[in-house]
Amino acid sequence: MKSAALPIALLLLAGALPAQQVKWNFDKLAARASESTDVSLDGALLQLGAKFLSDDDKDQAKVKKLVGGLKGIYIRTFEFKKPGEYSAADVESFRAPLHPPDWQRIVGTHSNEEGETVEVYIKNDNKGIGGLAIIATEPKELTLVNIVGAIDLDSLSDLGKHFNFPEVEVEKKK
Amino acid sequence: MASFEDELKSALKRQEPSPDFAERVLARVAAAPVRRASQPWIRWMAAVAAALLLAAGGLEYRHYRGEQAKEQVLLAVRIAGGKLAKAQKRVQMLAHRSNS
Repeated sequence: MKSAALPIALLLLAGALPAQQVKWNFDKLAARASESTDVSLDGALLQLGAKFLSDDDKDQAKVKKLVGGLKGIYIRTFEFKKPGEYSAADVESFRAPLHPPDWQRIVGTHSNEEGETVEVYIKNDNKGIGGLAIIATEPKELTLVNIVGAIDLDSLSDLGKHFNFPEVEVEKKK
Repeated sequence: MASFEDELKSALKRQEPSPDFAERVLARVAAAPVRRASQPWIRWMAAVAAALLLAAGGLEYRHYRGEQAKEQVLLAVRIAGGKLAKAQKRVQMLAHRSNS
């Protein structure tokens, strides 16, 4: 009886926990990358940034609406000097936490011509999409995206198609 | 040389103060004007000025953080949206090919 109570309590606790960011370990990759970009926006920072987006600018207003209900955005990109500096095992380690039933892969595309792969995962919760993860690989670049919270995929994709915001200063490491 | 040393010794020789020395010092201390503490309103003004400076600094820092966060949000949407759009485009291309 006592042994059954603990797992049940843990399950109940897990259900009560808010959406969490995916735990990816970047240490190995960061050491090999020639450049990396790190965007870490928790809920508070995201909402602060959203307040500074202009309502008069059409695109910025769309971004403001899009990120309004999010709890976090975490992005890492790694650039390498030459192809083959990251392995299939590295990519597999990023896929590992994105397993069913929490996560579902909705899109997986591969281009032989360009050597590019994009995998899109969504996290389902009882209200719909509760999170998004993207693993995008190119011969000399690896990008990992994790969005926590309810995200409108169509709006995000539309913004990605015609993003014409002025170039922002990117804090690049290494 | 010797005369210089003598002069020096004479100049530095211990001298006893006059008998009324202590009384005169005490009288002067009593007669000196007492330095009054600054007016309370000056202290209040200084406190208000310090508080205003702190508040202005805080607002400026918050503005700086907000602008930084905004740039990060735009960058994040640019990267995530770009990758998603790329996947969507490929799926549409494949769907178009299989239909035609």
